[in-house]
Amino acid sequence: MAYSEKVIEHYENPRNVGTLDKNDEHVGTGLVGAPACGDVMRLQIKVSDAGVIEDAKFKTFGCGSAIASSSLATEWLKGKTIDEAEQIKNSMIAEELHLPPVKIHCSVLAEDAIKSAIADFRSKQAAKKALPGQ
Amino acid sequence: MIDPFQTLGVEARFDLDPDDLARRHRDLSRALHPDRYAGAPAAERRLSLSRAIEVNDAFRVLKDPIRRAEALLRRAGVPVGETAEPKPSPDLLMEMMERREELGDARRRKDLDAVRALAEAIRGREREVLASMGRQFAASDPDATKLAVVLPELGELRYLRRFLDEASAIEEELSS
Repeated sequence: MAYSEKVIEHYENPRNVGTLDKNDEHVGTGLVGAPACGDVMRLQIKVSDAGVIEDAKFKTFGCGSAIASSSLATEWLKGKTIDEAEQIKNSMIAEELHLPPVKIHCSVLAEDAIKSAIADFRSKQAAKKALPGQ
Repeated sequence: MIDPFQTLGVEARFDLDPDDLARRHRDLSRALHPDRYAGAPAAERRLSLSRAIEVNDAFRVLKDPIRRAEALLRRAGVPVGETAEPKPSPDLLMEMMERREELGDARRRKDLDAVRALAEAIRGREREVLASMGRQFAASDPDATKLAVVLPELGELRYLRRFLDEASAIEEELSS
């Protein structure tokens, strides 16, 4: 199967590969996987006190489309507010990367990873607020 | 979809005897060999050729535990594939992420022994999962609701396979 130029570009020069401290209260971590292909994807966001995503990192073990989808997602996430980030849909990723129908699930995985990172960040914030004396 | 068990004339079960499977494949391939049909009418030649291809495809499916499990599930009407299967457990994802990162580190250090040790540990896990799947398949009737219990293990098996594929590619790279 032929990959689009954009997929190859992200695959060869993935943006924002790496790790953020998952114990940092400003960091939200999403870890998702696709059982049918054995892919695993970790996406992390670092959110400022003003609610803006100042950094995003990913690590994906999977096919070129899965790597490109998560790489693109981290690029888009930086500078967005949490609410804006939640608006990112898999279809936008698939369209940007020209993913063929059989690879749409890779963009779904990236959307799941974003949502799960945001949910992790929110639950940390909620836990912090629930602490007595704060 | 052609039933690979029927094509090779073996019982539809997960625990197949690999030697018996190979023997049936060999016997059928011999019987269908083009040389035997050299003087036969064109229609018969075409038929034997397409049967031979079918036999090879079925053998490839049944030899591979992942594809064999998928074939058994499909036969029983259990949907398999991207949207049909349960999401992998967070524990499994965490573990596979960590193991894959360790593998990547071993590759960067060019530490062939570490790569081999990681692969050996995962091969042990693979044997355990295969044995457990064999028990699950044997215990369930060909009933969709019961067979669906093997799906998480099938997913795990695919993760282990991906790891082992990656590990052998790295082993090859480091030993050359």
